[in-house]
Amino acid sequence: MMDKPVIVIGGGVAGIQASLDLADRGLKVHLVEKSPSIGGVMAQLDKTFPTMDCSICILAPKMIECFRHPNITIHTLSQVKEVTGKEGNFDVKVLKEPRSVDESKCTGCGLCSEKCPTKVSDDWQKGLSERKAIYILFPQAVPLIANIDREHCLYFQKGICQVCSKVCPAGAIDYEQQPEEISLNVSSIIVATGFQELNPSELGEYGYGRYKDVITSMEFERLVCASGPTGGHLNRPSDGKHADRIAFVQCVGSRTHKKGYPYCSSVCCMYATKEAVLIKEHDPGSEVTIFYIDLKVFGQGFQQFVDRAKQHWGVEYVRGKPGEIRRNPLTKDLAIWYEDTMTGNVYEKEMDLVVLCTTMIARPGNRELAGVLGLKLDEWGFFKSKDPVRSPIETDVPGVFVCGCCHGPRDIPESVAEASATAACAAEVSRRCAS
Amino acid sequence: MRYALYLGCTIQSEQFGYEASVRETLPRLGIELEDMEGVSCCGFPALSSVSKVGWHYLSARNLAIAEDMGLAVLPLCNGCHLSFIETKHFLEKDPELKNIINMNLEKEGLNYRGDIRIVHLLEALHDEVGTQKISEKVVKPLEGIKLASHPGCHAIRPSDLQKVDDAENPQKLDDLIRALGAETFDYPEKIDCCGSQLAVTSGRVTLRIAGEKLQAVKSYGFDGLVTTCPFCFKMYDGRQRAIKGALKDASLDLPVFYYTQLLGLALGSDPKSLGLQMNQSPVGDLVERILEG
Repeated sequence: MMDKPVIVIGGGVAGIQASLDLADRGLKVHLVEKSPSIGGVMAQLDKTFPTMDCSICILAPKMIECFRHPNITIHTLSQVKEVTGKEGNFDVKVLKEPRSVDESKCTGCGLCSEKCPTKVSDDWQKGLSERKAIYILFPQAVPLIANIDREHCLYFQKGICQVCSKVCPAGAIDYEQQPEEISLNVSSIIVATGFQELNPSELGEYGYGRYKDVITSMEFERLVCASGPTGGHLNRPSDGKHADRIAFVQCVGSRTHKKGYPYCSSVCCMYATKEAVLIKEHDPGSEVTIFYIDLKVFGQGFQQFVDRAKQHWGVEYVRGKPGEIRRNPLTKDLAIWYEDTMTGNVYEKEMDLVVLCTTMIARPGNRELAGVLGLKLDEWGFFKSKDPVRSPIETDVPGVFVCGCCHGPRDIPESVAEASATAACAAEVSRRCAS
Repeated sequence: MRYALYLGCTIQSEQFGYEASVRETLPRLGIELEDMEGVSCCGFPALSSVSKVGWHYLSARNLAIAEDMGLAVLPLCNGCHLSFIETKHFLEKDPELKNIINMNLEKEGLNYRGDIRIVHLLEALHDEVGTQKISEKVVKPLEGIKLASHPGCHAIRPSDLQKVDDAENPQKLDDLIRALGAETFDYPEKIDCCGSQLAVTSGRVTLRIAGEKLQAVKSYGFDGLVTTCPFCFKMYDGRQRAIKGALKDASLDLPVFYYTQLLGLALGSDPKSLGLQMNQSPVGDLVERILEG
């Protein structure tokens, strides 16, 4: 008897790792991703800590491997809508939204995007640049196939244009595509739907949304990335001036019992250090300050990484959470107010750019998916494990496993390790139920 | 719109211009004001350091009188507003304390139920009358005049109580200033304290805190400062001369207004009915400018 396939929900680094592990063991995998490409948040990062690897450079080969692997079927623009059955025999209904582009014909040449007249704010670039209504999510997208954003496309909104269809050399544009329901029978389910970052305008403080030069860490990742909107030049959003004085504020929306979340976001101390080092690598003359409550640098090589940032790169670490960020209405310069709690002195320091290290939060879609899968959520909307210590990747539903940030903030190495663990568990279910 | 008008001590003892301008302007916007008989001090949260029960008793006593009148209460002062809001909050959480207070109120035939609606002047004007209606009634728009908005701490903080406006980015007073045709914009010191709470213990610090804000406001090119809090007004207006001396800054002269005074000018009221002659900051030239249109 053939082993049944496994479904992996979420195509970020955790979902990719789980899929590859299973596929390499000879199991068939359906990798379901909501957006037009796999890659997830890791594809948006510039570098990874503590090794300073180029994020997309280490992720893209895995994405391609997923795409080429004979045992993996990637379903993009797809979401799991219904699950029945039990461990070893789940019937899963997946809804695939129309791409409006024939996946078998598109070559990813990008001519359609070039000629499309409609510009839309580019969410993938965190709104720092624009894309077209027909677009490829990012240069290394997998699959490398264009996608029409029907909400903004002139044809879908007003019945006019159709330029993409006229210029497409492959004849791949298909305005008639309908949503498609795919039925799968699988032995087990791996949930790897990831996280999203908190929008700090919800907090009110620090002026995010009011001051253009107060940005989030994810926006910073795009800003500093060579494939980002400025080609990696650290130009402040308000006037394009090069930012020489940069502040990072830790624990924005995390570790708070007022507005925000009480938990630690786990990765900010390290990614802020990474981002600070990146600035120094680009421009050693920059002044970079990290404002922290306390530094949580517990992973392998993390402390050495922070020490190097301090000693070799001259990144300044200040223990103190800034009270306020202010903007002079005439010069538009930002000033950060803080107490250095090592000395008890209060300072006001001018900054060109302030990066808010915002907390990771659960995706709102978790609620619907939890209902479909019969899983529990914790009070913050993350998926709940069966037991946080003894079985952290198992859930209350046998045959359903969780990995990565969908069950709480964690870094890439931990997500990858968990993904491999869920793959091992899923493979075990598959073998057990097949025999 | 009908409110029980709660004036509070500061206004009745020295800030007559505020009361005059409120009584002149609010009825013109369709707000009826009913005076409260037999009210006392609001309780003043600072009293809590001496007697928490005493504070809540005084505060609840005034609220009970308003409850008897069957009206929402409109305290004009930020301090009184905070005192009322906090008392309502704490007595909701502490039924035992509420009982103790009601036992004492009973001696006067009063009872505090706790369903009183407490309305701040900014809420009455911004949320209930609305900026649209105000601008429709303006006959002398304050065009070309730049006014700095100073809502005052107690109107917006502590933020976890149900306060008047966003603690980090208050905009209601700004909207109301714009409704009169004047210009305003955000400035970094907007939500800074006026310093008046320190007046008793550290006079010099108080003057420096207030003075630095006035200097900043001037440096951004504002023609005047607007508030609705008598404590803040007292600092910036009444003590402006002392601030000048303390900071040794002779050029520091900035007209300071109650919002209702400017509202009155824009609605076409006689400046005398707005108590403008009692402002101690140099408001004369600006008032002339507005009157001449």
